[in-house]
Parts: sequence; C-alpha cells; structure tokens
Amino acid sequence: MIKILKFLLFIPLISFGQEKSETKSEYPNYVGDIEFNSEIDNKDFEICNLKHIYQYFNNSGALEYEGEKLAIEKEFAEKYKSEIIKNETGLIRINFVVNCKGKTDRFRLISMGENYEEKVFVKSITEQLMSITKNLKGWKVKKYNQKEIDYYQYLIFKIENGQLKEILP
Amino acid sequence: MRNLTYLFLLCPIYLFSQPNCNAYLYKGDTLEYKACIEAEKTEKLYQFQREFQETLDNAIKICPNFAYAYREKSTAYLKSGDFLTWKKLIDKAVDLDFSLNLGYRAWCRYQFFRDYNGAIKDIEKLDSLANYNIGYSSNGDYHLNITKGMCYSAINQKKKAIKIFNEQLETKDYLPGLYDYYQLGVTYYEVKDYSNALKSFRKQSEINEFADNSYYKCKVYKTLKNQKEYKKYKEIALELYAENKKMFDPYTRHFNSVYYETIKNE
Repeated sequence: MIKILKFLLFIPLISFGQEKSETKSEYPNYVGDIEFNSEIDNKDFEICNLKHIYQYFNNSGALEYEGEKLAIEKEFAEKYKSEIIKNETGLIRINFVVNCKGKTDRFRLISMGENYEEKVFVKSITEQLMSITKNLKGWKVKKYNQKEIDYYQYLIFKIENGQLKEILP
Repeated sequence: MRNLTYLFLLCPIYLFSQPNCNAYLYKGDTLEYKACIEAEKTEKLYQFQREFQETLDNAIKICPNFAYAYREKSTAYLKSGDFLTWKKLIDKAVDLDFSLNLGYRAWCRYQFFRDYNGAIKDIEKLDSLANYNIGYSSNGDYHLNITKGMCYSAINQKKKAIKIFNEQLETKDYLPGLYDYYQLGVTYYEVKDYSNALKSFRKQSEINEFADNSYYKCKVYKTLKNQKEYKKYKEIALELYAENKKMFDPYTRHFNSVYYETIKNE
C-alpha cells in the first residue's frame, strides 16, 4: 500500500517534467521554415513531402533554373522598371518554396539598409520584385537520393538608389 | 605530456569547423572549455535544426563569451539569406574573437551578399590587427587578399585590384589559388591590357583549366582580330562547359563566372 502511495506521489513530478520539455522553442523545426499562412498563401499549392523541405543547395546543385541564373537576370532586366529613388539602397530577400513539380509559393520578403539594419523599401520597388519573382516559371525540379524534393529558394536583390544592381545567389 | 601539449598548440582552436576544446583548457579558460564540450553535441546535428540552435544557446549560457557558438549559430541564417539575423550573430562572434572570425565575416559579406565595401573594410581591419598571414576564404577557394582584389575590381577600382592580385601572387612561398590568375586576367582584360590578360589566362591554364578561362582567351583573341584562336578557344570553352569543368560554387556564383549562353553567343 505504501509503495502504491509513493508511486502516486511521484506522478505529478513526472507530469511536470513532461510539461517542461514541451515548452515552445523560439526556433522553428528548421531555420528558415515558412509556415503556411492562409491569408497570403495559395491553399492549393502542393507540398509533396510535408516532413521536410530542403534548402536549394542540399543537392549540391546550387540555383537551378532553365537557362541558368542568366535567364532570371534577363527577366528582371526586361521587367523591372528602374527609377532613381535616393536612399533606397540595401538588400531585399524574397524567400519561397519550389515544390517537387517546380511550382512556387509561400513568398516572404525581408530587407535591410546599407548597414544590415532592417529597412522597409518603398512599395514601387518591393511590389515589382515580388511580382516578377512570383512569375518566374523556370525553376528546375531538384532530386535528393533520386527522389523529387520540395526546396526553399531565395533571391536577393541588391538595390542602389532604387536601381537593381545584382541578383543573388 | 609535453608532446601532447605541443599537439594541442599545433591544432587550431577550430579544427575542421569543430572546436578543439582542449585548447581552451590549455588557455586556462574552464568556462569556455565547458561551453565547448556542450557545443560538441552539435556534431551530429544539421546546422538548420532547432536542436542545433538550442544546444549552442546552452553553450552560450555556460559561457556568454564563447565566440564559436555565435559563429556556428549564424551559419544557417547565412545560407538561407537571412542577412538580418546572420549579421547580429556574426558581429557578436567578431566582437568576442576577431582573429578567428573577422576574415570569415569578410568572406561571407562578399560571397553571400556582394557587400564589396564591407568585405574590404573587414579584410583591411584584419590586416591591420594581425601580424600573421590573414588566411583564406572559408571554402579555401581564395586567399583573403585575392578576395580583397576581387572586391576592388567589383567597385571598379581595377588598377588597385591588379596591384593587390600581383602583390599576393608575388608573396614569398604563396602558392597560387585555383582561380587567382583567372581573376587577374579578367581584370587586365577589363582595363584593355590584353597582353597581360593572355599571360594570366595561360598561367591559369597551367594550374587549373576551366571553361570560363578559355572563354576569356577567346574574347581576347576576338578583340585582337585573331579569328583562328578566337574560334579555337570558344570551342574549347563550350566543350569544357559541357564536361562541367567550369567555375562552380554550391551556394552562390563565382565572381566573373560565365554562363553557357554567354559563351555560345560570343
């Protein structure tokens, strides 16, 4: 009987311990994870492997696009309407998912000024970049261990006084 | 024991990206040693994993001055293009230990963000603080002085870039890197010094031949109106490209690297 009582007294401790281990982490499962947001994302966008979305470099293939990055640069050179806007200088990153069929969604944007400080660029710049990025159709399907994968890709735009100077990676 | 001590001294603190914890112990810093032992738990984790970040946070809790943990935490942000988080973390690592992190930050600023001025500033600062060879990029492709030359070339200070490249290549006991003469050659080409450009591309071929180098030879011969050599090197460049013998980086593109279509349309 005493043994049973001792066991019952231990239960709250065990249960407390479990609660502690489930404390929400400040990190997502993987750095850079983009959670589905019903307000901005396409609900019909298919993620083929919900367990893991790779990074674009995980297959050692770097950025893979029909016609190489040159085709992306041409697309932006043709469509981005450059205006000289003083002090609109820094980097803008648009991050997104390319699924196992080469389709894209879950676009997110961050931006910085010349000293890596957070900066909000004027909409005429960011909206253009976002729109052109969303319309890029040449993303290649990547494979890992012979299996088609979903992967995160990003484009970084180097902007100097509103002019698009370089595209990375 | 003495031999063992020498061995520890010979090993850099970061050995193949994993720290040598005993080096901290030898320095007499037991807190950093304990933090390092904690950080070793990341060995089998993926840099992007939550547990990887959390383990390093634990290491920082043990020793808030443990620069290695900040640098390691920064890597996943760097590789995913999150310049905001990356910069905060790598700055902390540099503040705590410039000797192991300033050159690395310089390289990352150049490689991932084409922050040419920032990279130059970091390399020049490291050079002013260090009385030793400032070393190579983290992927080993370029000496940091060659990186500095590329950055000056990118901001259109071509003559300064050429001077830096040549000074590095003439440094006693320096072995030219895989792409050094190519970068020098392209810069000579850009200032229309075709004779020195060709000399550099030929030297590059002796060390490591790749499509981009042949393409620039073809460009020089085209400018010099030597049709025969122009066609020859264009063909070689296309062949090398098809064989995948080209400048390649798994994360970004090399400075002055060339696309297939550019070669084809030359």
